Amino acid sequence: MKKHLARASAVSLVALVAVGLAGCATGSGGSGDAGDTVYFGVSSATTGQYAQYGDQFKKAFDLAVKEVNADGGIDGKKVALKYEDSQSDPKQSVTVAQKFVADQDVILAFGDYASSASIPASPIYTAGKLVQYGYNNSNPDFTAKGSQYQWSTAITTTASYTWTADYIKKQGVKSVGVTYLNTADWGIPAYQAFEAEAKKIGLKITDAEGVLDSSDDYRPSLSKIVATKPDAIAHIGYGPDAAKIVNQLRSTGYDGTFYGGQDEESFDATPEAEGSVIGTEFVETNPDAGVQKFVKAFKKAYPSEEHVTLFEAGAYDALHVAVAAAKAGGTTREGILKGFQELKNVPSVVYGEISFDQKTRRVADPKLTPVVLKDGSWSAIEK
Amino acid sequence: MLDTLIAGLLRGNIYALGAVGISLVFGVMNVVNFAQFSFFGLGAMLAWFGIVKLGLPFWLALPLVLVMCAGFGLLTNVAVVRPLAKYLPLAAMLSTFAVSQILDNASQVAFGANFRAFPKVLPTSNFRVGNLAFGTSDLVMLGITIVVMVTMSLFLKYGRIGRAIRATSQDQEAALQVGIPVAGVQHVSFVIASALGGLAGVFIALYVGVANPSSGLETGLVAFVAATLGGLGSLVGAVIGGFVLGVLEAFGIHFFGDTAREIIVFAVLIIVLIVRPGGLLGRVPLISSEPLTGTFLGRGRPFRIPKWVWPIALVIAAVVVPLVGGDYVLTTGTQVLIYATIGAGFTLTAGQAGVLALGQAGPIAIGAYSSALLTTVVHLPFWVALPVSGLIAAIIASILSSPIWGVKGHYISIATLGVGTVIVAVIQLVFPQGIYGIPFPDWFGTPLTSPLAYYLIDLGVLVITLVVMWRIRRSHLGKVIASVGSDETAAVASGVRARDYKALAFAVSAFFAGVGGSLLAHQYTYIDPTIFTTLMSLLVVTIVIMGGVNLPYGAVLGSIVLIGAMELLRFTPELRIIVYGLVLILVVRFRPGGLLVRNS
Repeated sequence: MKKHLARASAVSLVALVAVGLAGCATGSGGSGDAGDTVYFGVSSATTGQYAQYGDQFKKAFDLAVKEVNADGGIDGKKVALKYEDSQSDPKQSVTVAQKFVADQDVILAFGDYASSASIPASPIYTAGKLVQYGYNNSNPDFTAKGSQYQWSTAITTTASYTWTADYIKKQGVKSVGVTYLNTADWGIPAYQAFEAEAKKIGLKITDAEGVLDSSDDYRPSLSKIVATKPDAIAHIGYGPDAAKIVNQLRSTGYDGTFYGGQDEESFDATPEAEGSVIGTEFVETNPDAGVQKFVKAFKKAYPSEEHVTLFEAGAYDALHVAVAAAKAGGTTREGILKGFQELKNVPSVVYGEISFDQKTRRVADPKLTPVVLKDGSWSAIEK
Repeated sequence: MLDTLIAGLLRGNIYALGAVGISLVFGVMNVVNFAQFSFFGLGAMLAWFGIVKLGLPFWLALPLVLVMCAGFGLLTNVAVVRPLAKYLPLAAMLSTFAVSQILDNASQVAFGANFRAFPKVLPTSNFRVGNLAFGTSDLVMLGITIVVMVTMSLFLKYGRIGRAIRATSQDQEAALQVGIPVAGVQHVSFVIASALGGLAGVFIALYVGVANPSSGLETGLVAFVAATLGGLGSLVGAVIGGFVLGVLEAFGIHFFGDTAREIIVFAVLIIVLIVRPGGLLGRVPLISSEPLTGTFLGRGRPFRIPKWVWPIALVIAAVVVPLVGGDYVLTTGTQVLIYATIGAGFTLTAGQAGVLALGQAGPIAIGAYSSALLTTVVHLPFWVALPVSGLIAAIIASILSSPIWGVKGHYISIATLGVGTVIVAVIQLVFPQGIYGIPFPDWFGTPLTSPLAYYLIDLGVLVITLVVMWRIRRSHLGKVIASVGSDETAAVASGVRARDYKALAFAVSAFFAGVGGSLLAHQYTYIDPTIFTTLMSLLVVTIVIMGGVNLPYGAVLGSIVLIGAMELLRFTPELRIIVYGLVLILVVRFRPGGLLVRNS
């Protein structure tokens, strides 16, 4: 009996101590050697269902860091990133946030990927007075309901789907069928913006079906939409779900234009997606010199990548914006916040130039470019 | 209408293939095999790799994929499932979950997480019915399924091994006695099931047009439901279940939209189980004890923990950790404590009453939403909303699950999974938007925003939970509930109303789940339905099993290990989940009864 006693208490104690020690090792680490390096934290998904995006971001971040450092860093200080995997899960994004807040070397944190992981972490960043740069958070509420510490260069879903409705109407389309992702943090607000604008400009929505990105089979929803005979079909969602939808849409025999999707590998390579039209902030075939320089550098660094998408471009931009803010305001937490409040006309591969609207803490006056998918790659539509 | 019917049949075809594999393994091993889900994604990715990257023709790639999946299946059975299944189906089930995590992530490391466009092997839209076009591809898939099913049934009816499989699934002990090599039979079943899983995965990819390593998950879950619907262990039932679900799903989506998909699937399941507790064609389980836990209680005794451990543990948790750990440790600690609270409450259902409910995310979500609404709309203080949301969770969860307590065995697990999923899906329909600005708890006007404050609040709640659970266990009530769990027939014979006590145990567990949900909501200050997933439910179950399914304080240790381990493994980000899965398997392998339960 005694033996079991000892073992039981040993097991429990070891576990407790292990967690405690790990805490000492990670929680209080750093702070001494920070003199010549500026650290940004990145909270994103390296594993789990969103790992695809985490990987795209990381490639772009790493490339941008290399460039900044080759270029002299921030006033002679090197830039380095601390990555933490959150799986874009709020349970983990809050602990990651706390980790960054506790690590005095970190002067800004990027992320998270999904708003359902970013927003729960926001109060922790705010309390820690650490800027949370949601470079991918298109949910307007990330900044609108956040504090002065939440900033984003992602175009809001509201802006982008208001634009989409306008653009579709301008093509002479009178009626449209819609599929939208039924997600609280993204698809629903996006659809509401689309619906409101459509109503305003007289674009008829024949049928709108909420769908889930985790579904595989959209035929029952699509055959219902097609039965209402819309001129075109718009999908409010991402690349992988758009690939599935356009595949199954074409198999219903529908041949109107498909507005939607995202410039993303699985969508671009789907033969059925040919001729799809989207509005994007970034297209790799843009002849602009800055864009071409970035695309070339990216493909050189990662030869296996066939395409450079908005995800990479957005992350690449974000790092440069953060560096510019640190240069303007200083390499401390207060400094970089001040930098954000002053930033103007930062060169950008996505928007050309970035200035912040200080009220919304978003990019002032973002532009979208209509592009069409031809032979598996996107090209801007000439007017 | 005809086009919807055809869409449903095409879909049901894939469910049927997956369900047959699940049912086959269940029949011969009495284990629910979560790893089966992974073979869908794995099959699709292997086929993609063979065709696109290696340039193999489809008809060569397909058998290769099947052979590889079969090989992985055999390995899973030899290394993990079989050593455990004989003694502890519960531990075996937990380790199949770990295997599925490892397979998914290994496949992700190998192939990348991206969705890939799956090559078009055969024409997909050369026939038309109404608004639906379908192609040779679909007909070939249907044809292959029919051939496979007919071959399988002939094999099971007349084949030597086939008959051995049936004998084993009818009565394992008897099969052993008449000289059937049960181990070999189980290996063969696993091989067949995994190959079928791979085949279904390739079919999903062909049908959908894109694939990624985790793309089989959703389909796997529905296939699992289909197997239950048909009656676990019945292959004909699995096929019927697959097609029934496929067709009902298609019509449901047609009338109510894709967002109602999960509600439709699980509502069908729950209704069928209420009417026929053994599924459409399954036998109603007659065993008196629950297969998951009954065998389990007899096989281990908890370590006796000396009294002095408690004050020391409390001092460590309440004084040492706050002093030594930084904010990061404290924030991790809050998550550990909240899940420990939920887990400790859950031991009454899972351990004492012997019902391994799988849908705890449901009551957690009810608690979180109640607390959020009570504080933001009604403006109640946090301290009132906290217990009230626990009560609301207990009441709603009890009402919703009241019809299912007559269901027994594995079926109750699946039925509770259904109830939990439906709860979250309904919440998503009612509040599609997330809820923002949930206030921080405050102390006489001072908002408690620091990690330390949360940590102490959560610790206080956990201590109260443990005391309550301890009191319940020692009380007459606790003993009655335990009698239901360890031998239901004996309990009923002694005049105990087993159903009611199970429901009561579940209500108590739901109360603490609701309290946990409320704590989460006030810490995140934002909630939306995507937070309350099936994975959350599985985490709660894993935590409880890890510590010892019957021990409230075991849940604390389980929570420390499972949530702490995820944080500790940060040093190897890419392999984090794989290592996590391996650790889980090792723990289960060497301490199958839980960390605090001694082997016997």
